[in-house]
Amino acid sequence: MTGKKLLLRALKDKGVKYVFGYTGGAIMPVFDEMDKLGGFNFVMSRHEQGAAFMSQGLSRASRSNKVPQIGVCMSTSGPGAMNLVTGVADAYMDSVPILAVTGQVATGVIATDAFQESDVVGVMMPISKQTYMPLDASDVESTVHEAIYVATTGRGGPVVLDIPKDVQNQQVPDEYRFDAESYRPALPGFFYHPTPAREPLQQAVDLINRSERPVMFCGHGVINSNAGKLLLQFAEKVNIPIASTMHGLSAIPADHPLHLGMMGMHGTVEANRAIMEADLLISFGMRFDDRVTGKLNEYAQNADVIHVEIDASEINKNVGTTVAINADVYRTLHVLAGDPMLTYKPRRRWLDKIEGYRQVMAEDLRQEIETGVGADGKLLMKAIVSRLSDLTEGKDLIVPDVGQHQMMASRFYNFQTENSWFSSGGAGTMGASLPMAIGVKLARPDERVWSISGDGGFQMNAQELGTIMEQQLDVKILILNNGYLGMVRQWQTLFFDGRYAGTPMQSPDFGLIAKAYGLPYRKVEKLEDVKPALQQAIDHQGAIVLEFICDPGEVILPMIPAGGGFDDMIVKHPGQEPAENAVEEGGQS
Amino acid sequence: MKRRAILAFMLNRPGVLNKVSMLIRKKMYNVDTLTVCSACKPGISRMTITLKEDDDAKVQQVIRQLEKFTEVVSVKELDTDHSYWREVAVVKMEVPAKHLEGFHGRYNFEVLEQKSADIHILQVAGSTRRIDAFLEEVGQEHIIEIARTGVTALEK
Repeated sequence: MTGKKLLLRALKDKGVKYVFGYTGGAIMPVFDEMDKLGGFNFVMSRHEQGAAFMSQGLSRASRSNKVPQIGVCMSTSGPGAMNLVTGVADAYMDSVPILAVTGQVATGVIATDAFQESDVVGVMMPISKQTYMPLDASDVESTVHEAIYVATTGRGGPVVLDIPKDVQNQQVPDEYRFDAESYRPALPGFFYHPTPAREPLQQAVDLINRSERPVMFCGHGVINSNAGKLLLQFAEKVNIPIASTMHGLSAIPADHPLHLGMMGMHGTVEANRAIMEADLLISFGMRFDDRVTGKLNEYAQNADVIHVEIDASEINKNVGTTVAINADVYRTLHVLAGDPMLTYKPRRRWLDKIEGYRQVMAEDLRQEIETGVGADGKLLMKAIVSRLSDLTEGKDLIVPDVGQHQMMASRFYNFQTENSWFSSGGAGTMGASLPMAIGVKLARPDERVWSISGDGGFQMNAQELGTIMEQQLDVKILILNNGYLGMVRQWQTLFFDGRYAGTPMQSPDFGLIAKAYGLPYRKVEKLEDVKPALQQAIDHQGAIVLEFICDPGEVILPMIPAGGGFDDMIVKHPGQEPAENAVEEGGQS
Repeated sequence: MKRRAILAFMLNRPGVLNKVSMLIRKKMYNVDTLTVCSACKPGISRMTITLKEDDDAKVQQVIRQLEKFTEVVSVKELDTDHSYWREVAVVKMEVPAKHLEGFHGRYNFEVLEQKSADIHILQVAGSTRRIDAFLEEVGQEHIIEIARTGVTALEK
């Protein structure tokens, strides 16, 4: 037996069926062995970053399958491994378990600046849950098992396995034995608390019963623990409205009467107002990041906070907690939902008030969606997404890229299928959509998958059209082209006096690009063509590219400026005038 | 600012020290000293970190972040009432032997070597404050070079 064989045996034992990657000098032995051995579906990306996002797509989409799978991406040393970095960092921010396997130069030349050598462990350490470099073939198999255990246990995350080329080829001694069945990683300090402690649960029930104006938060943890139905059951039992984080979307039906939609920077008026006025926040599996809270010292000042979170380091990190429940969301909800002490309250005043907030923008948005075009007659993104939602009855799998169109999709797609929204959130990586959609499609082949990108993000990983062509994958590709980097443009409109620095963008003929990859293409410029084009995509068996010519002036509202509080929420388009309550913030968008 | 000590036990695997120092940089903790040694159990390292921090929540964050590392076995904060914090300083100083004699009995020091009539290499052990006091009393102007180990701590 050799290191490479043991690596592949361990992957098989852990149920890995798909390997996304790109070969090269330092990983060739593994690829060669994989080819000889058979049993893996190898998907060749056109760039290693694509492979990382494909593996994310597989992990994210399959977690609600009967047997969840861990996405595995594989690359060579040096530039190959460095190209994985963005996808790994993204998985770390979004708690997505993936295993990145990288070839490394042989142990004899490590640290000599050998050809295609880089310090993969050093680079990956701060952006992954764990990194490994086995130096002996006998360690490879147990390392893979430990790596997958670490990636998938507790709060998920990426794990990196860097294997020197000589270790891949090294023979293990004849007496080498490994029993995958009985193997348990020896990590005495690595544990998590899946079951909630009794005392804080009791305190939580008391707070919930006493509360007049409670709001529940549905975070990524609800999706990750498949607890959507349970959350809804619990919410209905105590009659408490639910606001979602961006990653919490699709855990419960978006149009449920108790659902307030997304909270935070581009969240709905009703969600954000309710949080402002709440006396109790019950948050499930989320981390109060700055896009959710806005200015921390103004955030939900009168509210007690019950924080249910699997990662103890997230509790009391940004927002002070009244009752901390360090446990798995599903198990906590399971106990909570069955608690006989919980009481149902009509909360008529509270819910009526929230209903009032729901109406603040409802009519404007309804009209905008119906009109469907902006001042210059170009299409509105929200109108496209909302028509897509109608046609698919909110049941399809949505993989947005990052930017304005992502916020439009999060707000105007009427999610009905649990775990049907896959988006780069914490890292906000443009270009994530197309490769991620490939992984999603492979994880859930019987469901329809839509990759929605802007013209900017699409071009960041457009090369993965090659993968779609080669694998003959049925991914519906929408490009919402407004000729600008839309989200930054929106900030420029609102906070930079309409100076559009570095955002106008000339795009190639997307039709010719689609053609080059053998994919059908349709350009949509008129509102009346939107539905027929989407229907054409639905009817077509296989991948298709639809390009929509969109209005660059469209903004996603409401918006809480970065660094601002909920009181700074902008609900009306200020035109080209800078908003009065604009908050300047340098740097990131 | 208050001085705090955190004691962590962790698996002695490659890269652990790197991880801890990276965390300190990434989260911008105000770390004073960091010492590592082997614990009595084979394969386990023992790390004492001291930092200046008044905010309890921040110290809790450091502990939680350390606990997150898969290699870390346990982490706790030690307070001065229930633990000993000690360090060692090795000092090269230019000072007449007579002058030093006056400190015998009051400070726990040992002359490792007398290189000439005036040049001494001493070893002083004790709490940080005690070592500071000794150096202060002997006179900073006599010191040629000093090496301090940083704090290591043990629970009572």
